[in-house]
Amino acid sequence: MTRATLQSIAAGDKNAVQDCLKAYGGLVWSLARRMLRNSEDAEDAVQEIFIDVWKNAGRFDPSQSSETTFIAMIARRRLIDRIRYSQRRISSDSIEDMVVEPADSTAQNLQTTVEGREAFEALKALRPEQRQVLELSIIQGLSHQEISDATGMPLGTVKTHARRGILQARENLGLGKSGLSKEVPV
Amino acid sequence: MNENTEEIMLDLLCKQAVYGLNEEETKQLSQLEKGFGGLDAESIEATAAMIALVGVDAKAEMPTHLQARILDSADDYFHSLAVSRNDGAAGRAIVETATPRRSFVDWLGWAVAAAACVALGVNIYLTRSQPAVDTARQGVPTPTATVELTPAQKRQQLMESAPDVIRADVAGMKEYQHVGGDIVWSDSEQTGYMRFRNLPVNDKSKETYQLWIFDETQEEKTPIDGGTFDVDQNGEVVIPINARLKAKNPKAFAVTVEKPGGVVVSKRERIAAIGKTSA
Repeated sequence: MTRATLQSIAAGDKNAVQDCLKAYGGLVWSLARRMLRNSEDAEDAVQEIFIDVWKNAGRFDPSQSSETTFIAMIARRRLIDRIRYSQRRISSDSIEDMVVEPADSTAQNLQTTVEGREAFEALKALRPEQRQVLELSIIQGLSHQEISDATGMPLGTVKTHARRGILQARENLGLGKSGLSKEVPV
Repeated sequence: MNENTEEIMLDLLCKQAVYGLNEEETKQLSQLEKGFGGLDAESIEATAAMIALVGVDAKAEMPTHLQARILDSADDYFHSLAVSRNDGAAGRAIVETATPRRSFVDWLGWAVAAAACVALGVNIYLTRSQPAVDTARQGVPTPTATVELTPAQKRQQLMESAPDVIRADVAGMKEYQHVGGDIVWSDSEQTGYMRFRNLPVNDKSKETYQLWIFDETQEEKTPIDGGTFDVDQNGEVVIPINARLKAKNPKAFAVTVEKPGGVVVSKRERIAAIGKTSA
């Protein structure tokens, strides 16, 4: 799909919706299934996400991010809201299992987007504990407290790793403005 | 922006991107953003979004009925967009109509009531005319009854009659990621049912599915064997649980793929689905 798709949607071209669904339906569905697990919740969330995508299509700026990242951002906002308000999330394995074997195995087999591959490399360059916290939070959907309980790290340490990790990953990905690297102590 | 304010704002932006914010934090960030800028919040959120894409299967197939729902929503959205543009009433119509069509959950109450009526009718019909046909078969043969409710009917009956029924939503793992459904269980009846959607038909000569019950009587390493079963048709199947031991207050369930006949202890090499009971 070319970048014109979101622009077409913003311009009111209904036909572009089919292209958008074809290009990103699987991705959004996978994200929703991973974060919500309950397939009925996931279905409702995916429907809401695509409505959000159409409403926000005019805000897409190709100089800031790819369409994939833009849509993933919208999807995460909606999914995080659902998790926070429903508390119906279930985890894919026992928390202990995830701590022993974080997302590596799946990541190696299923890097299907350029953005996912880049992020995987950016994660690999982080300190192990930062990487672990980001994988458990962003990929597995655990809260600060759940990560603290599972890893034995104090809550404050989890928060610190999350913050430093995300800022370092941003730098590794070459996103954001320069000059903020001083805020990324490692 | 002084350094302290910048630190607070950066904290909130990171938390927003990684975990989301509560209402109070959202208000605080909103206030700070009005007064200050320059921390490039979008790039932090974009970083989290890209990390979220690690391991995501972009080629996964969305259910066709969901695609249809979304296209219906698109009809509503673009229609209201056109109307609002024509009327000059930008925004209002969109807000009013571009909400999802009534969701499955909204209809669930009515659907359950309707299903109960249908189940009753079907039951009356079956008890007077023909034996029931199971949607899936247990690996262990059960005695044949002349008049037998289907597993789906028995599940419904259990949910309506047992006061202590617990329910776990089921999610598929890895190559079984399209699997959904739920598991219900009653301690007092020592009975339960698995309901799966899209659990693949298995080759019975090579493998079988086996349920494991994680409850408070057993250690996590040795969950209760919930019985083996085969799936011989696509779509939704309802399968009775055949627990080998008395289960008490199950916390989670797992379905593994094992050799025909099942195993005593699973190596958990192939986990098809898991479900955790609601807290």
